[in-house]
Amino acid sequence: MQKWVEVVDEFPHVAEQGFSEAGDDLTWLRPSPLLLRARRIEVALVTVPLAIIGLLGGLASSWQAAVGVGAGVVALGVLSERFLSRRVAAWGYAERKEDLMVRRGVLVKRQSVIPYGRMQFIDVTAGPIERSLGLATLRMHTAAAASDARIPGLDKSVAGVLRDQLASLGEAQAAGL
Amino acid sequence: MTSESPASSPEHRQPPPGAPVALSAQTGWHRLHPLSPVVSAGPRLAALVVVLLGFAVAQQRTAGSDLITDGVVIVIALAGGFIRWLVTRWQVADGVLRVDTGLVRRDSRRFPLSQVQAIDVVQTGIARVLGLAELRLRVAGGDASRGGRLACLRRADAEVLREQLLALARTARASASRSEVSGTDAADANATALSERAASAQSAVAWPPTASGSVTATAPAATPERVLFRVHPGRLAGGLLFSHVGVIALVAIGVLVAISAIWGEKAAVASFVSVGLGAILGIWRQFNSEFGTSVTIAPDGLRLKSGLIQVAAETIRPGRIQAVRLVEPLVWRAFGWCRLEIDVAGPRQREENHAEGHRLRGLIPVGTRAEADHMLSELLTNRPVPSLPAPAPARWKAPLKYHFLAWNGDARYVVASGGRVCRKTTWVPLEKVQSIRWLQGPVQRGFGLATVHLDVAGRRVTASIEDRATAEADAILARLPAVARAARLRHR
Repeated sequence: MQKWVEVVDEFPHVAEQGFSEAGDDLTWLRPSPLLLRARRIEVALVTVPLAIIGLLGGLASSWQAAVGVGAGVVALGVLSERFLSRRVAAWGYAERKEDLMVRRGVLVKRQSVIPYGRMQFIDVTAGPIERSLGLATLRMHTAAAASDARIPGLDKSVAGVLRDQLASLGEAQAAGL
Repeated sequence: MTSESPASSPEHRQPPPGAPVALSAQTGWHRLHPLSPVVSAGPRLAALVVVLLGFAVAQQRTAGSDLITDGVVIVIALAGGFIRWLVTRWQVADGVLRVDTGLVRRDSRRFPLSQVQAIDVVQTGIARVLGLAELRLRVAGGDASRGGRLACLRRADAEVLREQLLALARTARASASRSEVSGTDAADANATALSERAASAQSAVAWPPTASGSVTATAPAATPERVLFRVHPGRLAGGLLFSHVGVIALVAIGVLVAISAIWGEKAAVASFVSVGLGAILGIWRQFNSEFGTSVTIAPDGLRLKSGLIQVAAETIRPGRIQAVRLVEPLVWRAFGWCRLEIDVAGPRQREENHAEGHRLRGLIPVGTRAEADHMLSELLTNRPVPSLPAPAPARWKAPLKYHFLAWNGDARYVVASGGRVCRKTTWVPLEKVQSIRWLQGPVQRGFGLATVHLDVAGRRVTASIEDRATAEADAILARLPAVARAARLRHR
């Protein structure tokens, strides 16, 4: 650690950008609050049919088994709903001067830094549930397959503005492979 | 042939061989070597002959009529290739390689030479017997099918054409700045003359290379090469034998022998035969492709030659290396052996290696640490060594990995090492970093650890600085983007 910090501090143009603990004064932007509703609908859409199938399957043996399976599935759904709100709250992104920062995850926490100049293309997608709520998912692609820059649950208009903004920033700072 | 035949227009006629012709007049179309249908149909033809022979033996008939039908089948197989050769032609003009082919569906491809990442000379087994070689152009992005192929040319011609195309690619890139290198000795002057002539002639190529042409005579001399590494055949065989696949094969064979010795069971043996055969085939394929690997450094980049039956030569242009990885498997460490791999953007164009798309290009298939160190210092200037071991809590989080976990970095490179049994050390030039990811799982959080990944282009390599103290990982994430940006700006 020692050596690296020393070397890094030798670069004045690096130092002047004030990266030191830049994480504190970052303004984290959040996805739309509607994202939680979209996620809840998704969970419900999985839980309800599963519970019904479990109920019917259980009925084949006995009604106790049917109720048990159905209740179990519903309980799992409710449990995952509890996690959902925390997971949705964990999403955040910050537009810095030279790069975009995206954070997410509760159990496994992740933070990604994607320099604008590294963007290959940006796409905005919206599934049926997201579309019905007027949301969209924005994804930045770099040349690396492992890059992980996705912001779900943006308002459609916000996603459009952000896309254009990122595209122009990417163009201005584009770097080769 | 259609009306587009090469000889139709007088000014696009091929020059008579041996005559010194001005480069500018040589923008005509060229054919591939007449024997190329044999090479391209070779493997299929061989399979066909085997099948037909099998039929003949099975039917116990040697009647003349059968031989005639067999002959007809073979001729039909060859005729397709011949027609393809007939309608295929290529041209180099204005810094663009054009390859036209197809009888019914015409297919015209253009490869701007400035976009070419590398040019490989590949010889399949049959091509070697016939003295032919295939030229493959690698372009960035996309899959292997997007690259250009010229199959086949005479081997010497292919080498010369490769030199000329690479020179053209250089001039195409340098033409914007117009800063030509002015050499004093004959070789340099010749190279400059070649590139200038090529540029003035709107990037035409002297083709076919004539014996009297100075280009042919001096092209090799104009590129002083230095051999960095040559693989030791015995060590390669030993290394493969003690590799993962080799150990699996040995175990399979051992089980095979044990079963047949103890129980004399034929059916059980049969089930193991496929496993053993697969492993042996895998080893053979690797041996075949890595045999005789030699790495030389030349002005146009690193030259990699390898192959026992199919010989491949590729050139990796400087600045195209995305990552360097040193791999030291358990058994190899006992012998002091290691493997050095590099990651280059773009697909590797070896058709037989579809399944091995995730493998990196082995610069040193098997070598000693000294050889690897020498190569490393050639690839990376003043490289850092992974000297910062993981903090103590990491011992409990990753007990099997802990002894190899380390990292270091400077303003140019980041190096990270890891691995449980097999030690893998990855160097990444900071100007190649595409994105940086910070990650903390629940177990890591319990121990106060976090991991930082550095992604480079492609899907093969990610340098992972694993299990650092959270504060250190945070600091890395906070500082690295700025350092990487500085590195990018320096390389612009």
